[in-house]
Amino acid sequence: MKKQKFRFLSMILIAFMFLLAACSGGGSKSSSGGGSGESGGEGTVNIGYTGPLSGPAAFYGERTLNGVKMAAEEINEAGGVDIDGKKFKINVVSLDDKYLPNEAGSNAKRLIQENETPIVFTPHSGGIFALQVFNQIDNFLIGAYSSEPAIAEAKNPLTVMIPPRYDRYLPPFTKYTMERFGKKIAFLPTASQYGKDWAEALQPYWEEQGGEVVYNASIDFAKDTDFFTIITNALKEKPDVMFIGGASEPTAKVVKQARELGFEGGFVIMDQAKLDEMSRALGNSYEMLEGSIGVLPLVNSEEAAVPDYVKKYNEKYGEDPGSEAGLNYIAMHIMAKAMEAANSVDDPAKIREHIEDGIANIPEEAKIYRVDGIDKEGGNFLYQLEVGAVEDGKVITVPAE
Amino acid sequence: MDILIQQLFNGLTLGSVYSLVALGLTLVYGILHIPNFAHGALYMVGGYITLTMMTQAGLNYWIAIVISCVVVGGLAVLMERLVFHPLRHAPAIHDKIAAIGIMLFLEALVQFIWGAEYQTMVSPYGQVVNVAGVTLTMQRLLIIVSTVVVMIVLYIFLKKTFTGATIIALSQNREGANLVGINTNRVAMLTFLISGALAAIAVSLSAPINLVFPGMGHLVLTKAFVIIILGGMGSIPGAIAGGYILGFTESLGATYLSNDYKDVIAFVILVLILTIKPNGLFAKGGH
Repeated sequence: MKKQKFRFLSMILIAFMFLLAACSGGGSKSSSGGGSGESGGEGTVNIGYTGPLSGPAAFYGERTLNGVKMAAEEINEAGGVDIDGKKFKINVVSLDDKYLPNEAGSNAKRLIQENETPIVFTPHSGGIFALQVFNQIDNFLIGAYSSEPAIAEAKNPLTVMIPPRYDRYLPPFTKYTMERFGKKIAFLPTASQYGKDWAEALQPYWEEQGGEVVYNASIDFAKDTDFFTIITNALKEKPDVMFIGGASEPTAKVVKQARELGFEGGFVIMDQAKLDEMSRALGNSYEMLEGSIGVLPLVNSEEAAVPDYVKKYNEKYGEDPGSEAGLNYIAMHIMAKAMEAANSVDDPAKIREHIEDGIANIPEEAKIYRVDGIDKEGGNFLYQLEVGAVEDGKVITVPAE
Repeated sequence: MDILIQQLFNGLTLGSVYSLVALGLTLVYGILHIPNFAHGALYMVGGYITLTMMTQAGLNYWIAIVISCVVVGGLAVLMERLVFHPLRHAPAIHDKIAAIGIMLFLEALVQFIWGAEYQTMVSPYGQVVNVAGVTLTMQRLLIIVSTVVVMIVLYIFLKKTFTGATIIALSQNREGANLVGINTNRVAMLTFLISGALAAIAVSLSAPINLVFPGMGHLVLTKAFVIIILGGMGSIPGAIAGGYILGFTESLGATYLSNDYKDVIAFVILVLILTIKPNGLFAKGGH
């Protein structure tokens, strides 16, 4: 009898587990920024999003989605997308792909078939490559958020690559750290494919400039408990500069442990990690990051629209926005203006053709980056690139060119 | 020479954490006779409890560790009562599936409560100490010393006290222990309690040098499995020795052979030891 009771209890418990797991997993979420109705010259256009909304990269996915959503809400508040006098409200439909390319692919199919989305945003290179396989057949535009140069090199006519290509960072990063610290560099990026690609791009450039790679390894943040061993080995070669990167917080730990082991040189930081997030993980101080160079944190940007944007974002999401939110935000605004210029909300090719007009018409309050245009073939936004370096405990802007 | 000493120290730090986790795993093996896959999840929950106690409740590091031990120990006991105890007559595969279920449940739960982002645990022992060219940090010294203390206390408890002896008796023969009048339920619960507390101590000591995040249990769990196989399933000296062997292999292998192959080296050693001693270094005759 007692045994049966226990069995029953444990069954209830297991059922409860599944229920909870299902709840936290999260399915499709649709959020319309304002009211959505189709009365009196009004319509709705669905914008798709597929990204990691659960699992270890969930916070990254959330931030990119926040950028798209925030822009959509602002556009809706201003009346919507104006096509020949008819106003279209933007409705963002988001699906979770758990950071997996295959899931991103099936999500995109679902978004096209169920929601007829002309544009699908996705924030990871694996997902983008998967979508590029069939986006011309299924006819939708990819809002690609990844700095992987191969995305532009695919010359897919229906892809818009949102962030600057990471190879554009190589010259300013190399020049700054070489001049300030010296020519010997140790490579310790994250062990992901992205980290390896970055290292492979940086190595030839660094050597071309007369530098030397004295240590070349990678850190697996998913497997190593302590980085002391590997950093000790890297420092044995007496590097002047270290190339590190990965998610901001573990990268910050690498900085901390390198400093503990007596490293006094500079850091070249991969664009995945953000200086401001790293300083937060190091107790809100830039002291240990002295001599680091990386992507300019959005909060340190001198663009006129930035302070207001940071304030708005903070009110809404309770944290400072990074480039994940910021770049997706400006991209959504550009897409909306491109739709107006193309006079269409459902022809991806036409929208893509008019991206240039979209860039020219970015609303003043959304100009948080200086976008000059779009690379015709690769579909990459062209920026006036600025990078951030840490000098005397503060982030300063360094022009990229 | 400096490098060698530095790497020995690094290996000692790693080995200490591994040993503590493996000890909890090996103790429970004596009761369940399967490796408890949920042990890594207990480790992770311990990290979050200590962190929350420090940041939200503003408690002292050591008090936070004590609370974490109690909570995680309690959670382990609950696990034993609700899941493993009812399954004690079932085939071993049921225990395994249940343990994996608990692991997935706890990971999802933690992510639900605390979110998926990385969190930083700031310990009050951040100082860097330089001794003869070797860099030690207070936190790492603390890990090494605390581990030794915990091991000694555990050893005295198991060998010199009556309650400790009952745990050993139960792991040797459940029915026999029952026949001589040992309350097996109580002892099983006690073992889970100790195992949970060990996981909480291990994570509270090591989290300040890394980060707290839902996947952190996997970092140590796979290593702990290797260790208890290496040391002999259920053997306490085996878990200790195995932990240090793995720690030193990783740090020295990464230095003198290749960083990319440091895990390969650890597994080659495992294969070699198992070839010579198929039941592990300190295997007992009982199982």
